[in-house]
Amino acid sequence: METNGRDAPSRYGATRARSRSTTRPTRSWKTVLLAAAATAFLGVRAAAEPGPDATYEEKVQPILERHCYACHGKEKHKADLDLTRFKTTADVLHEHALWKTVVGRINLHEMPPKSKPQLAHGDMELVDRWFNGLPKGKSDCNELANDENLRWYRGFVLGRRITHSEYDNSIRDLTGLDLKPSRAFPDDGSGGEGFHTAGNSLYTSTILIERYLESADRVLDAVFRGREPDASPAEREAFHRVVSAQRAEGMEPREAARKCVGELARRAFRRPVRPEEVERLLTLYDPVIARGAAYEEALRQPLRAVLVSPHFLFLPEPEPEAAGVYRLDDFQIATRLASFIWSSLPDAELSSRAEQGGLRDAETIRGEVRRMLRDPKARALGEDFALAWLELEPLGSTARPDPQRFPEFDASLERALREEAVQFFHDLIANDRSLLELIDSKYTFLNERLARHYGVPGVEGVEMRRVELPDRNRGGVLGMGAVQVVTSFPTRTSPVLRGKWVLETLLGSRVPPPPQAASLAEAGAATAEQTLRQRLELHRTQPECATCHDRMDPLGFGLENFDAVGKWRTSDGGQPLDVHGKLPSGEDFSGAAELKQVLLARKDEFAAHFVRKLLGYALGRDLNRFDECVVDDAVKALRDADYRCGVVFEAIAVSFPFQNRHAKK
Amino acid sequence: MPARSSRIDSVSSRPISRRTFLRGTGVALGLPILEAMGPILGRPHALAAAPSTPGAPIRPPVRMACLYFPNGVWQPSWIPKQAGFGYDVPPSLEPLGALRDEVTVLSGLDKANSRQGDGHYAKTANFLTGLPVRKTTGKEVDVGGISIDQLCAARIGGLTPLPSLELAVDPVITGIDSNVGYTRLYGSYISWRTPTTPLAREIHPRRAYERLFGVRGAGAGDPRSAIAAQRSDDDRRLLDLVLEDAQHLRDRLGRDDRQKLDEYMDSVRAVEQRIEFYARPDPREWKPAAGEPTADVAPPAGAPGDHCEHVRLMLDLIVLAFQTDSTRVATFMFANDVSGKNFGALIPGVSGSHHEFSHHEGKAEKYEPYAKINRWHVAQLAYMLERMRAIREGDGSLLDHSMVLFGSSFSDGNRHDPNNLPILLAGRGGGDIAAGQHIASPPNTPLCNLYVSMVERMGTPVERFGDSTEALDLRSRGPRRARV
Repeated sequence: METNGRDAPSRYGATRARSRSTTRPTRSWKTVLLAAAATAFLGVRAAAEPGPDATYEEKVQPILERHCYACHGKEKHKADLDLTRFKTTADVLHEHALWKTVVGRINLHEMPPKSKPQLAHGDMELVDRWFNGLPKGKSDCNELANDENLRWYRGFVLGRRITHSEYDNSIRDLTGLDLKPSRAFPDDGSGGEGFHTAGNSLYTSTILIERYLESADRVLDAVFRGREPDASPAEREAFHRVVSAQRAEGMEPREAARKCVGELARRAFRRPVRPEEVERLLTLYDPVIARGAAYEEALRQPLRAVLVSPHFLFLPEPEPEAAGVYRLDDFQIATRLASFIWSSLPDAELSSRAEQGGLRDAETIRGEVRRMLRDPKARALGEDFALAWLELEPLGSTARPDPQRFPEFDASLERALREEAVQFFHDLIANDRSLLELIDSKYTFLNERLARHYGVPGVEGVEMRRVELPDRNRGGVLGMGAVQVVTSFPTRTSPVLRGKWVLETLLGSRVPPPPQAASLAEAGAATAEQTLRQRLELHRTQPECATCHDRMDPLGFGLENFDAVGKWRTSDGGQPLDVHGKLPSGEDFSGAAELKQVLLARKDEFAAHFVRKLLGYALGRDLNRFDECVVDDAVKALRDADYRCGVVFEAIAVSFPFQNRHAKK
Repeated sequence: MPARSSRIDSVSSRPISRRTFLRGTGVALGLPILEAMGPILGRPHALAAAPSTPGAPIRPPVRMACLYFPNGVWQPSWIPKQAGFGYDVPPSLEPLGALRDEVTVLSGLDKANSRQGDGHYAKTANFLTGLPVRKTTGKEVDVGGISIDQLCAARIGGLTPLPSLELAVDPVITGIDSNVGYTRLYGSYISWRTPTTPLAREIHPRRAYERLFGVRGAGAGDPRSAIAAQRSDDDRRLLDLVLEDAQHLRDRLGRDDRQKLDEYMDSVRAVEQRIEFYARPDPREWKPAAGEPTADVAPPAGAPGDHCEHVRLMLDLIVLAFQTDSTRVATFMFANDVSGKNFGALIPGVSGSHHEFSHHEGKAEKYEPYAKINRWHVAQLAYMLERMRAIREGDGSLLDHSMVLFGSSFSDGNRHDPNNLPILLAGRGGGDIAAGQHIASPPNTPLCNLYVSMVERMGTPVERFGDSTEALDLRSRGPRRARV
């Protein structure tokens, strides 16, 4: 028995065997082998530390049985959660992230709901100690999800189409012209962890191909306008960069075309280009010359082809012959880095690092990441990551305040609100500030229009700039008008939506949709004289509603000083506001400044959620359990760095899933 | 407001805005084609008159538009109390007015495959497929089957310059709904070229117009010129080259990445086909009375600020596309699902979020505005139908030769109920639809039965579609009232 236990490749196998062996000793060795086989199949590898762990079966499960299974069991599985399917510690470890949520909800007194018998303090502590004492199987950190370690695993699209931002920024970086052609493109949805970078949800339809072709013409029109006398300095520079700089004195036209096309292709394709590829592109040049057209007219055709080529419009990662996990080559890593941090293509320095084979070394990569974060192009993280993460993309289009009720909400205010969020985030990463400033900061970014809206004096002009704030209500994302608009209805605020936003967007918690409204008993008539708060409190007297609304509504009450367009107020409809909130955990607060302190106490939850989102953005897919190692590493690095955010970007860039790929044959 | 019926050929010295042109029959009768053809949408041949077929007159083709509105309906104001002809018009359908004889009201139709899943996404994405929507935040998006419009486009789309037209008003909803486990993009697409590939929708009226009619700014010259022919040659060579590149690249990619390159290749081929369309003899036998629109009927550039204006411009474009036989299949989304659009500026006393009103909780303060919003959408349908009825074609009107499906993906918004869906079908589908009645189907009749009947009238019948059990009978059922 002991021998079997030690030889088993998994300590969970051993654990299971031992706990069973007390009840069914005759079958113990078989159990060991079965469990070992099962765990090997599930991909849970041996961890070095010894020690049996029967706590789950013997101590935790009985608690769950008493308090949880009635709603989260086989019969009823509220929130799609059936806890009875977790029979062993190995099962729990297999879905570690889910259990993190389960234990987190228990610790916050959010579960069981307050209408049900509560866990004794000792039981709560036991569950918490058990869960935090579980080893995480560190060997998983050098694995990627595949058929062997995740059953029914099907891959993700990783060699994806570029996003519209990547298209615009690439055109800008190729030509120096910031034309933003994607404004004419049909827009994309999101996938994975909620970002446009998710390869699976980036579709290419006929309209888009037509627009790519039109855009290529527009871009080349602007480039070639650079040789006209009335060209703008930017156009002149673009013509020089793309066309004339490639043509040395006395060079034959076709030779010049070869250089020009080769150079654009090399940069646009984000890799070295073989001579035959360039020669192939020149098959579009030759017939135009043959019909007697001028050099530049002929040159346009292969340049156009580069701009609609799949090598430019996709981020292809061709796979090796053999199946299995392999490391991406240096150019592919450079491409992933440039997409991640700049939403663009690699610059000259990153490309030359790749050429020299320098991107195999973690320190070089970290150095590149730090350099890239300081580059102005890192603003893309504010536009593409932060706006999507904070759910601010609908601002002004589908999230639009009622124009009669809020006539002050106009296009210039909308722009300033969006810009505040983008610049705040960009400034944070460019200066390696603490991630916690997203929750609470002493400053924000304003122009005159927005400062007037917020009631901050002394800001003049249309330029956005950093402004120190007089109090601690406004600083951080919770004080941003953009957030307040997207979490309001057109005519009024919604403490429910705001509370939900805080839980989901900042803390990564989930709030299931409400039960079918038809099944809800009316909780007494609300009257017009009641405040919004009173009506919501009445609503929460129904136990069906209370479970979630006890978590959401108090957070929203704390933000009621911000109206539906983000202006500061102390009364609503003539009645003074009550901005006090009390959470199921017993924490209470009054107003935004105190609410932020409550959130700061949950900073590791916030940090872990932030890392998950950023990793999902970088990888362009949703996360699986193998990615949890990266999350843990990054959160630890954050803690060690006093939450200065740069380490997260480094941790992701050097992580296993960022640098490796699984070739499935 | 200028008269909507003003015709281009009756233009007097009164200044007429572009909007009026588009709102009129919108077509320059017999005028030469003036638009400059862009290099890609360029047409070596304009819509030259094809040799006329001797003998019997050729019937106008049947066209199909599917219009979706979000968030369901307040049923007491929607479903007529009696079946058959001569029903009492419920308040939400009143804007149809005299058009009620052109419209079939359908009740009792269900989308059984939406009884599972979340409240919205699992119901809207399959509005036109009728099959289950896969729960996913983005990986392996799947709506079970091709949508009914795309089935028709795949079969008859080659007969027109554009196989189909997909229009909407709002940008695609971004993000995922991690609580229900669906990507929100499901709420923004009803047209699916394959079960896994939604079709991009155009939301800018001007761009949609230019895509249809190729008006791309002056200076490109005569489309029949040698220069235009050279352009088409250049385009063809270029598209062939990138297509070949894509094929080579595809061979070196992993399985999942290949699917995405397939989408690229399919779309490049579709662009090629569009260029080829004009290089071949025109396959269309029937010739619309109207020629191509002139450049000055184009809608204004930029996004219309006003929602009503935006919706009507999009509906105008569908009418214009049908009238000129530029396509025979179109879809339109008044808004994405879960839309919180505020109708305060359009309907007096209805300030607030559409989605919020749809969760009416049985309270009059919510269902009254909700019903008014439903009614507003019906009014926009009436606007479109009015225009279609005014366009004469052969022995009838454009509306007689069309089917305009108008509906939502669940019935009661409070319960997200996918049964007894609110569905209207306008037009006579070429002749035999007995419009003007309320067809109350027995409970659990699949919505897809209606789709089978529609596809049949598009001249390309199917035995089954989605979860259909049989074709829905759209012909006469009760005593026919005299038409007004």
